[in-house]
Amino acid sequence: MTAAASSDADLIAAHAAGDPHAFSELVRRHRDRMWAVALRTLRDPEEAADALQEAFISAFRAAASFRAESQVTTWLHRIVVNACLDRMRRRQTRPTVPLPEAGPGEPVAPRDAMAERETRLVVQAALLELPEEQRAPIVLVDVEGYSVAETAQLLGIAEGTVKSRCARGRAKLAKVLGHLRNRSADANVPMNDVQVQQGRQLEER
Amino acid sequence: MTGNARRSGPPWSVDLLADLHAGALDPRTEAELRPLVENDPEAREILAALDATLEDLHDLPPIPMPRHVADRIDAALADEARPTAPVIDFAQAKARRNKRLGWGAGFLATAAVAIGVAVVAIPQNPTAGDGGIAQEDRTSTPVAGSAAPEDRMPAVRGQNFGPVVGDVLKAQNYGPLENQDQLAGCLRGANVTAGKPLGVSPITLDDKPAVMAILPGGSPGAYRIVVVDPATCGPDNPDGVLANSVISP
Repeated sequence: MTAAASSDADLIAAHAAGDPHAFSELVRRHRDRMWAVALRTLRDPEEAADALQEAFISAFRAAASFRAESQVTTWLHRIVVNACLDRMRRRQTRPTVPLPEAGPGEPVAPRDAMAERETRLVVQAALLELPEEQRAPIVLVDVEGYSVAETAQLLGIAEGTVKSRCARGRAKLAKVLGHLRNRSADANVPMNDVQVQQGRQLEER
Repeated sequence: MTGNARRSGPPWSVDLLADLHAGALDPRTEAELRPLVENDPEAREILAALDATLEDLHDLPPIPMPRHVADRIDAALADEARPTAPVIDFAQAKARRNKRLGWGAGFLATAAVAIGVAVVAIPQNPTAGDGGIAQEDRTSTPVAGSAAPEDRMPAVRGQNFGPVVGDVLKAQNYGPLENQDQLAGCLRGANVTAGKPLGVSPITLDDKPAVMAILPGGSPGAYRIVVVDPATCGPDNPDGVLANSVISP
């Protein structure tokens, strides 16, 4: 078992049957995407690593009871997202460590490398300015490419809530990123948490 | 119009247009709003800004998991996959021994930290198991290579296999069976099919040479302990399998 060609469902079945390597193979397949989700939602590499380890151990123990009603990846990602959300709730008031500017494995673009990197940093920094309840759905839908329905399932909230939180988050990001910077003052740009100056400062970093 | 009211006309409410953009509005409101938005340059500009924002987010690169984090998680999962240490339960051992033609095993799967498993009762020595809860000092010696003399092999008395499980798990030594294929042939004698064992080592069972293998047990945390007589075991000889028991957590 644990052949590269095995499906995720095969690996879960093999794990449930006692194959000691099957679950590790499953984790290897999905760990990069889950790392990105954890890092972008938690903002702290140490916390992201802790959350992922906790989530994978939890999934390892619960895998025998996995039923094929949902995709293995959805099930696994839900456990990861829940571990991240738990940590976010626990540390509500704690200051966070910003993401490193050049993350490990961050691809180096051969063309316009500096400009692209700067843009990414600005976007990354802007993302970190969002309130957590908006950042999680934005990361899942807009960065990681989950559908609204999948995200609702992962976060345990209604699809309408995912859409409205994404809408709020995108509006703030549009402002922070400068796409809406020329809007007039009375245009009701959402300014609850993000100030224009802050956005401009981010752009200037 | 001031504050947070949602304007459906110039100057537009960004909240409202962001909801429209995200598909968060009810169908009727959306249907009313669409024509107004399409005919208003300022509204279109806001929607374009939201599109540009989405594009920025989509363009964020993947972030591969750093090697040290991957290693740490692999190690944690390997720990988790390691069989836990059941502790013998006498009553079950006796009952099973009576039920299973002289071979009996009883386990109380606990979170015991000591590596210890009692697997079988030896029919030729039916009283030996009664002392099984005490781990005899002489039952455990380090696993040696395939050429190890018998006095260096893990030694088991009676039914008390527990003290040697840790050593066997650490070994991949087929001893006189030489390789996985020969072990697999012996296991077929007991209708056991298995891939690579988690651990395998020559042992002595009541001073007689034997080979003990620990295999995945068919469910998470479970494992199968099999002991074979290397001199006689084979696909056609069930009697060459001296012990065969599944341990569940």
